[in-house]
Amino acid sequence: MRYDSITDAIGNTPLVRIDPAVHGLRNIDLYAKLELLNPFGSVKDRAAWNMARPHLSAAAEGAGQVVELSSGNTAKALAVLAGIHGLTFKSVTNRMRIPEIKDLLLLLGAEIEELPGQSECLDPTATDDPLTLFHRTLSEPDSTYLHTDQYFNPRNTEAHFTGTGPEIVKDLDGRAPDWFIACVGTAGSSTGVARALREHDPAVRVAGLVAAKSDFIPGIRTIDEAHEVGLFDPGTYDTIESVSADEAIEGMLTLNRRCGILAGPTGGAAYFGAVRQLRAFDEELADGEPAERQSAVFIVCDRVESYLSYVRQRRPDLFGRPRRRNSPADLSDAELRTAPAIGVADAQAWIATGGPLVVDLRSSYAYAALHIDGSVNIVDELFEELLHGGLPFSRNRPVLLACPVGEKSARYAALLTRMGHPDVRSLTGGIIAWRDAGAPLVRD
Amino acid sequence: MGGQPLYLEPRLEPRLRSLLGAPALLHTLTDALGSPLNMVVPDQLADNLQQFRSVYGTHHLSGQVYFAHKANRSSALLRRLAATDAGVDVASLGELQHALGAGLTPERITATGPKNPEFLWLAARTSVTVSLDTRGELEQLATLVRKHALPRVRILLRLSGFEASGVRVLSRRSRFGTAVRESAPLLEAVERHADVADLVGVAYHLDTTSLAEKATALEGCLRVLEECRSRGLRPRAVDIGGGFGVNYLAHGGQWERYTTELTEAVLGTRPPLTYAGHGYGLRNEAGTLRGTLGLYPAHRPVAGARYLDELLSHPAASLGGRPLAALLLEHLYDLHTEPGRALLDQCGLTLTKVLEVRGQESGGPLLVRLAAKADDVALEEHGVLMDPVVVPRDPAGAGADVGVGTGPDAGAGPVAVHLFGSLCLESDLITRRTVFLPRRPEPGDLLAFANTAGYCMDFHATRAQHQPSARKVAAWQEGDTWRWCLDDQYWPTTPVGGAQ
Repeated sequence: MRYDSITDAIGNTPLVRIDPAVHGLRNIDLYAKLELLNPFGSVKDRAAWNMARPHLSAAAEGAGQVVELSSGNTAKALAVLAGIHGLTFKSVTNRMRIPEIKDLLLLLGAEIEELPGQSECLDPTATDDPLTLFHRTLSEPDSTYLHTDQYFNPRNTEAHFTGTGPEIVKDLDGRAPDWFIACVGTAGSSTGVARALREHDPAVRVAGLVAAKSDFIPGIRTIDEAHEVGLFDPGTYDTIESVSADEAIEGMLTLNRRCGILAGPTGGAAYFGAVRQLRAFDEELADGEPAERQSAVFIVCDRVESYLSYVRQRRPDLFGRPRRRNSPADLSDAELRTAPAIGVADAQAWIATGGPLVVDLRSSYAYAALHIDGSVNIVDELFEELLHGGLPFSRNRPVLLACPVGEKSARYAALLTRMGHPDVRSLTGGIIAWRDAGAPLVRD
Repeated sequence: MGGQPLYLEPRLEPRLRSLLGAPALLHTLTDALGSPLNMVVPDQLADNLQQFRSVYGTHHLSGQVYFAHKANRSSALLRRLAATDAGVDVASLGELQHALGAGLTPERITATGPKNPEFLWLAARTSVTVSLDTRGELEQLATLVRKHALPRVRILLRLSGFEASGVRVLSRRSRFGTAVRESAPLLEAVERHADVADLVGVAYHLDTTSLAEKATALEGCLRVLEECRSRGLRPRAVDIGGGFGVNYLAHGGQWERYTTELTEAVLGTRPPLTYAGHGYGLRNEAGTLRGTLGLYPAHRPVAGARYLDELLSHPAASLGGRPLAALLLEHLYDLHTEPGRALLDQCGLTLTKVLEVRGQESGGPLLVRLAAKADDVALEEHGVLMDPVVVPRDPAGAGADVGVGTGPDAGAGPVAVHLFGSLCLESDLITRRTVFLPRRPEPGDLLAFANTAGYCMDFHATRAQHQPSARKVAAWQEGDTWRWCLDDQYWPTTPVGGAQ
């Protein structure tokens, strides 16, 4: 496959059958449309390209900026497309809750503006919500913005009506699937694909999936939020069901681990929702006469890599690591109680006569601001790493450990003692006690 | 009524639940003192303070919790506060006088907000800490101190306009505080006035529910404090204001269902849920929902002390990713907070008497008129949607459980109502939404609005049309019995037993 431009690689994604041993449906073949294999990583590549393409050269002449309200994949695709065409890109959002995606966008050269949070003291006289202000800026007379407007732009839907939908039919040997299951974000893919499939066969059943209201699943709206989308028409869907974040992650793990499809949580939600939706129907088929096999398609929107922190926050169990030796977590209460310690006055005398190495465990910023004269700074996280490998000091050198209140330093004093250091002590009450006792702190 | 009743039951912690379970007392009080009647529960304030203190404890932070006085003008609450170790932040001359008179000594008071010369003078005269908005205000204070030979004054610098690195966080513009990028001339002025003013630290207060914005501001404060230290100043505190929120509703599910149905009512796919089709900021444009829901997020699992805990646990992205609390602690800074609403969570309720219950010829919700004005129960003004609790006049006609009507009368069972006030004005609506009650109220019943102590009790109250504003009583428990006195009769010595 040889292309002249990366944009030629958008679309024509594979349709992959999910092993029935995984989903357990006996009479329905379930297929995943792997939109994660688009060049910029998601289903949004199609819409972004279709919306921006007609305007990019004109915008480039006027030194304009592409702007979109996007919290992720559309922004990623637009940032790349803008960059290719010598334009800048700005994403305006209050929904970008995934740090990796933020970082990736910044890396791609995007500008990100976060809309302010809700007011705590409601001002009933306030007339301008942030989005109204955003739209006003765009429509100012000398505006050079290219606003792709994904929630209202019919070219979003069109990309799927002319691309994604027909591709599915082609890969099913010219037949539309009996079921199409899609998550509702901008509603562009679900609406466009549904229209294409139904043009082929009006009997196609379409299930829309939304996020449960109390939950957050990246790229999926709740039912209330869906109503804010211009492309959303409830009439498109035969059913609208909600999926929880836990279910989305369950579905994602199945795709990741058992199908080799490195889908993100949105694809996981689509898989989970699809199997749940189809299971009851599959039972009915099984009860009746031997029927013709049916087929169902869901969309895998994007990849798992960007969502590691999202998953870690909700499922820390998935990131369990083997315990490491010399960890402060291994200390017993008795060891902590008997951790060697020294008060401020005695510590001052000791520093003057015994020459202990003073180790300040606080962050480098705090250390730089004020510290005990002559001390060295080893931030606690780093210190813990060092200890996994063994004692970082000679046994012959006495050590005084200091942290803000003497709690962390006590743990490390106990641990170093257990590791065989003969003369390590924790500064009781920490740097705060040191300051409160009027002992000197310096900045270098 | 159209489908199931859409209740928004208030969250009631044991004290308010117990008080609402004493209908005889509530009726006796409103009979004697009139409707509306505000009740405050000072002991709850002390308990709420402990929750904030325990968050400080978890993070090993020292510093003061300042109650934001403007949230309620009660003397009883303030005097109960004086009996704890908390402070108060005052925003007017009157509030400062009130705080001093309630027994809050100057080292426990911070003066904030727009200030007139009298306010500034009394603050400096009594040596309370002054939070300054601008360089001009600092000059004014310094001049005052010199001219009147006042003692050296402790000051905080209120900052605004914080900037995040990487991502531009748009914050609502504030008319208070000095923009961070203009802090250099402000610090120069502090150095110039070092003979009359001691810099305690810097402050911010952002009107937002967003943790990220507040975290950005706190990081910005840490950077300015570092600048102070490099100039040889010795600041030791950051005041992060309040705005930690209150969780008003008992059930998240009710809130979710209600807001979904409200959305659908605005889109016209279900019958209206408000008087005259009011949309609370939402509107229908060609079948698409536009606008922003102008409501307080009334069900908030993370509010009050828990919100503070989350903020302090938030990683400081621009300062190495350590939690904000760790940075404060490592830099040896005290943390000051100014919760108003959150410290008054569950600290009071407003009682209103039902005057009239009228059906409409066209059907639809019952029209219920209360002996109170909309501004006496300012829940709507603050966008807080929460049902009142029906306290029946005749206990035999209703179940004994709070808010559950199980009476035998023909009106038993849920009803939809519109609640009107007593002013001769079309706009005097206690609620703009249709309220669902578990039973039909009768004239003489009380509707109790729970959890009104924070901003919703007397912040907006007027004497319009010669109608009385609510009187206020303080209540406390002695064993199983509720005792009460007029608000301004309450002193920490008044109650016997209980928390004293």
